[in-house]
Formats: sequence, structure tokens, C-alpha cells
Amino acid sequence: MRVAYGFDLDGTVTEEEILPRIASVLGLDREMEVLTDLTLNGAIAFEDSFRLRCHILMSVPLSQVRSIVEDVALSKPIAEFIRSHHQQSFIISGNLDYWIRPLLDDLGCGSFTSTGVVEGDRLVGIEHVLVKSEAVAQLRKHFEKVVVIGESVNDIPMFEAADVGVAYGGVHDPVENLVQVADYLTYNPKALCRLLGTL
Amino acid sequence: MSTVRHAVIAAAGLGTRMGRGRPKCLETIRSRTIIDRQMDLLAAIEDVRIVVGFQEHSVMEHVRRIRSDVIFVRNSSFRSTTTLQSFWMGVQGLAEPCLIMDADIIFEPTSFQEFLNDCQDGRSRIAITPSRTDDAVFVKTTGTAEELMVTGFCREHPETHEWANLAYLRPEQFANVPSYVYEHLDDQLPLQASVIESYEVDTPNDLARVEQALSRW
Repeated sequence: MRVAYGFDLDGTVTEEEILPRIASVLGLDREMEVLTDLTLNGAIAFEDSFRLRCHILMSVPLSQVRSIVEDVALSKPIAEFIRSHHQQSFIISGNLDYWIRPLLDDLGCGSFTSTGVVEGDRLVGIEHVLVKSEAVAQLRKHFEKVVVIGESVNDIPMFEAADVGVAYGGVHDPVENLVQVADYLTYNPKALCRLLGTL
Repeated sequence: MSTVRHAVIAAAGLGTRMGRGRPKCLETIRSRTIIDRQMDLLAAIEDVRIVVGFQEHSVMEHVRRIRSDVIFVRNSSFRSTTTLQSFWMGVQGLAEPCLIMDADIIFEPTSFQEFLNDCQDGRSRIAITPSRTDDAVFVKTTGTAEELMVTGFCREHPETHEWANLAYLRPEQFANVPSYVYEHLDDQLPLQASVIESYEVDTPNDLARVEQALSRW
């Protein structure tokens, strides 16, 4: 059976969240934290929050953001799994394609991301904010079974659309609403890869 | 010769007969929980999966402190499914035989290890134990101690041994049907058997019996 593995990126394949990391290096932590808290509390929708967070970072040259992203650590076992299954592994990330390109290139797999509009070395707009269930619908056209892995609120649509959902708590605990729609839960990267190898 | 590589523990049940409002695997007996003792026994097994349902977070929080690489399988229908169905969920995707056990059993460590050794012949195998629980599922056996076979299960007519809720079975031997595990296995008999020393904790009476046993081990 042809199985596709769809991985959330932030806090699943990466060992830290990417946007807070960028904000921290640029001294914009407070602004980012306020938005993150409002999002997690349900005060603003994920898409609105994401657009606002992007706008905060638009003032920064793209090359600078990318150089920060290059230093974001990947989980070694998970990255290894993705590389060795690169034809059936996909990153499904709400993050902007231009920002996470260094990590996608490193992993060497396919991806579904939000897309930005770039002029020169600047992000000037957001073209599309990914709803992760769209990615699962695309994968269904080519694979018989779609397994997804994630930990956050914006992973819920892809968990609901996929055949199997694995909530992953290796970086931080998966959010409760996601756990409630998950089939499996594990807190260890090696255990996650062991499980994926059997699904 | 093959070693046991996979274990699935069914820990999704309500534990209503204990009447304590918490999962039975978290019952503390002589200062350690049942699941603590089971995790000790499974320390050498690479792939341990625990099927969770009732108070799943209590079970997961407790287990991950003991062993971080456990895979939790969520049985969100735990109120309306049987242990057999939990095992079926737990073995999904596995291609090799798998140790399966209930989460409310205390196993005597030496006899448990002997059971694992017996499993190295790769054949399906059921663990049986001297009859003692309040609500036993008795087993009919035939053969010698070296080549013991289970030929039947019954609840009405007492036998010397009962089903120990521990077995080594192939994934295809499970099914997603609302039967008891022993009822489902009944169609697959005869099956190889090994005698172990174990105590099921279903009722306060069972709990008292296992406390006595632990003081002897």
C-alpha cells in the first residue's frame, strides 16, 4: 500500500518553534508572544494571527530571516526518517515557503506551505495561508493512505482529513483538542519513527 | 529462535469492579503501581504500545515518566468496546507476533521471563495460571508440562488453571469484534500453553490476594 507521511514542521520536525525563534533573534519576542497567547486562547483565528505575525516580520530582509531559520535544529531521528522516505514524506506547514526553504532543502522531501509574495529581499505580502486539510486532499490523489504527524491547533484539520493521526509530544505536549482527534500519541522521536514504519 | 519485539498492553478499561474511579493499572500495591511492575517486565522489549481510554491522560502522564518511548494507542470508544478490540487496535500495522497483556495483572517476574523464553519458538502461546480469581475464565488443558495445550475455555466449571490474560499471538489472530479475548481465541484452539504465576486485580478481594503474594515473592 502506498502510504504518505505528512509532517507538521514547527515543534514536530524542528526542536523549537520557528516564528518565535525568528522573533527572539530580532528582538520582537513580546509582540509575537502576545499574538501567540491570543491565538491559543481562541481570541483571534489562526489565519489572522499568522498574517499579523508575518506583518511584524516583513520589515526584516528575507535573507536575514533565512539565516536564522537555517540554525533551527531538526530532530535527528525524524529528519533521518524523512530523508530515507523522501518520496512519501511531506512537510505540511502553515509557515511561509520563503522562510522555511532552507529546512525543506535540507530534508529533501515534498512540501505544502503558506506562500508569500516577495520583491527583492523583502516579503511584501501573503498569497495563501495553508489550511492543512488541503494538503491531505492533494496527497489522497497519489497515495492510498495518509498518515499525519503534528502537535498544534492548526494540525486539527489535517488530522480530521487523514487516515491516521499521530500526536507528537517530543518538543512540547500536543494540544488537547488535537489529542482528542488523534489515533496515536508518542513523546519520543525514535518511538515515532518506529510507529511510522509500521503504519 | 526469535525474541519478542512487540508488546501491547490493554489499559483502556473503566475498572468499575474495583470501584475506585481510576484506571486499574494505576492501582498502587505495596508502594508500586501495576503498570510500574509491568514496565519493569517489558524493559528489554523494544516496541511497547499501551492502548489507553478511560482517564487516558493519567495513564500517559504516569507511564511517560517511567519510559519515554512508549507508543500510546487511543481507544476513544473505550466505553463501548472490549479488550479484544483494544488489542486489535494495538496490533494494527505489526507484521510479527506480539505479546499482549491486560493492564490489571501482576505477574511473578521469574515465571514471566520464562514465558518470554518459551515464546522464542515463535509459536502462538497462551499463559495460564493456577485458578484463584473471583471471576475466573477456566482453561481445559491436555498434554504434558513440556507440551501443554489449551483445548477449551469455560466460566462455569472450575478447572485447575485459568486464563492469565497474557499471550503471544500473531496480529491476524485478533479481530475488531465485541467479544471477550478468550471467546475469540476459542475458535483457534488448541493453542500452546505455558503456566505462569499471575494475579488479576478485578475486585478488592483480588487486591488482598495479590498483596499477600507480593509479600512472598
